[in-house]
Amino acid sequence: MTIHTEPLKSVSDIERTTLMTFLPGRIATMFGGRRWRSLAPLAVLVVLCLLIAIANPNFIELRNLVRLANSAAVPLTLAMGLTFIILMGSIDLSVEGTLSVSAMVVVLLAANDSNGNDYGWWAVLAAIVAGTAMGFVSGLVQTMLRIPSFMATLGMWFIGLGLSVYMLGGSAIRLNDASIRELALARFLGLPLAVWVATGAFLLAAVIQYHTKLGRHILAIGGDEDVAKLSGVNVVRVRVTAFALAGFFFGIAGVLAAAQLGQSHAVIGDGRLFAAVTAVVVGGTALTGGEGGVVNTLIGVLIVTVLANGMILLGISPYIQQTVQGLMIIAAVALSLDRVRLRIVK
Amino acid sequence: MKDRTGLTLSGAVSRRTLMMGATAGMAALAMPKVLRAQEKPTLVTSIRSLSNPYHAVWKTGAEAYAKWAGLEHVTLVSEGNSEKGIADIKAMLAKTGGNMVLNSDPNDTPDARPIVEACAKAGAYVVTQWNKPADLHPKDFNPNYVSHIEFDGIASGKTIAEILFKTIGGKGGIVALGGLISTTAAIERKKGLDAALAANPDIKLLDFQVANWKSTEAFDLMGNLLTRFGDDIKGIWAANDDMGSGALEALRAENLAGKVPIVGVDGIKTAVDAVRTGEFACTVTSDPFWQGGMGLAIGYNAKIGKFDPVKEPPEHREFYGKAVLISHDNVEEYYKTNVDAKPEIDWNDLWGRVTGAIRT
Repeated sequence: MTIHTEPLKSVSDIERTTLMTFLPGRIATMFGGRRWRSLAPLAVLVVLCLLIAIANPNFIELRNLVRLANSAAVPLTLAMGLTFIILMGSIDLSVEGTLSVSAMVVVLLAANDSNGNDYGWWAVLAAIVAGTAMGFVSGLVQTMLRIPSFMATLGMWFIGLGLSVYMLGGSAIRLNDASIRELALARFLGLPLAVWVATGAFLLAAVIQYHTKLGRHILAIGGDEDVAKLSGVNVVRVRVTAFALAGFFFGIAGVLAAAQLGQSHAVIGDGRLFAAVTAVVVGGTALTGGEGGVVNTLIGVLIVTVLANGMILLGISPYIQQTVQGLMIIAAVALSLDRVRLRIVK
Repeated sequence: MKDRTGLTLSGAVSRRTLMMGATAGMAALAMPKVLRAQEKPTLVTSIRSLSNPYHAVWKTGAEAYAKWAGLEHVTLVSEGNSEKGIADIKAMLAKTGGNMVLNSDPNDTPDARPIVEACAKAGAYVVTQWNKPADLHPKDFNPNYVSHIEFDGIASGKTIAEILFKTIGGKGGIVALGGLISTTAAIERKKGLDAALAANPDIKLLDFQVANWKSTEAFDLMGNLLTRFGDDIKGIWAANDDMGSGALEALRAENLAGKVPIVGVDGIKTAVDAVRTGEFACTVTSDPFWQGGMGLAIGYNAKIGKFDPVKEPPEHREFYGKAVLISHDNVEEYYKTNVDAKPEIDWNDLWGRVTGAIRT
């Protein structure tokens, strides 16, 4: 499932044998160690699906599976972009800002109820370009001004949000372009077009990660930036490209979100950052970088989506749903990463 | 769709209001110029922001009243900053020497006290809306603190629930989407729903879920609820219109838009449009246009001595305003008078929308 990158940090045996880490380490080794762990997110997903299906057979109804795919479309597209950034050991907090800029651009340029524009699919293109540009700027700010990605993208988040609030005048603007709304409403082989777009985004991300130099360089930087640099990787170029690539995916997600909701307002991205980071991490991509990948993220997104769906199907009270979500995140991460090998936990 | 007689009638009312306005305006013009310059107070509106549609409409209402009354009007915007809000008001009090009428939507509950105290000290007249501490009362600052206005969340939640129940024929299952759990509005509107459910035993609440006021969350939730209950869902109750519109889009993706009625609160444009197309059964609004204008009108009439706040009954000092219901029956008229044109309100009818004293 995942590509195996041997960690560059070596850990002495003495460190391994503290009581806290000894037991889980042993259990993991008994079941095949690394191999088992890399499959842990998939196992969590399968067990989750089985449990929910037993409790409420409606879960495996075709209609529900389609709905699941539909609600996973936007988070999946977002998480594809975020995966590359987290793989580098950086973080992109501009998810919500970039998404709202892209949704704002598409709504204001396509037919809407606020101005007379009607550029059709050019609006979609412009929105994706806007998203990519936001990411590109994040990358430049990080590499040229040498500002940590956390702060650089935090800034871009609020710049994007402010831009959308200003352009939309604080209100919700309706998207009236029927052909763009088709993304959410029309179906091909029983699945909404948004799901196909998200699938396309996943395939594209997979190709970039596993079959291009950029993908390998991103992993190398996440593994150890100094070593990557010494091996001749142009770190600045890879970083800027990766942020622009993330912005590209956020841009697509913005268009999908606007198409699904049929409107755009500045807060259209609210809560998406948390969901995307959760999905990436639950899928088994390490926040420290260098480990994991887009396939992990696909599983992570499905876990998060299935869990949200399942909690409603099981009738879990909304007052404790967040608690359950929090427990799931900790459980999934605890299972999926080999904590024993971590020297430092920050 | 269109109720012809209703429309004609509304036209007549508008013309009458217009004539009354014109008469008052001419009367004002007839007064000696010098006298007016000395006596006329400045009208001041203090609101949170102009970037949300709610306060933007509030300002339009305030300006409409100021124009009608022939008075100077100033809008102060706090941008969500309590200190700025209070400081701007104090600056205005200094500038006008206290000769002003303030209609304020305090940024935060505790802000109301310093605002009221500053106004009372300077001799200005003040009306607050939505936010004030429970132990701050207009009667403690006679006569300067004229009134405090809120809107009853329980009544809104109940009204829309009853209309939803009627729309689906008095029986069947519904799902409800609540707001952010800890907010007063969310709690009150849910209480209203519960009260309506208690009175209608044939309606079954299939599930109550929380979508935190957001259309995006409501969109995902609604898809999941459709899986769980499928065709058993006959109607959707949403604690605000934004969540209702998210649920509507989820229905649309399943070809159910218009088949399962939705109700909400706020009267945002998306919801009003949806009421017109029959996808929403109704929505209620506190009518920010009225809030913006009438808050000033009440303060101004107290200031010029049209009534004495001290002698007014308690339900004129701290009251719930009447929310405006927008349903299938009046949506065309509402659209015509509130969306296509500026609403016409009888600014002399100060207490017409009082529904009762605020619960303590």
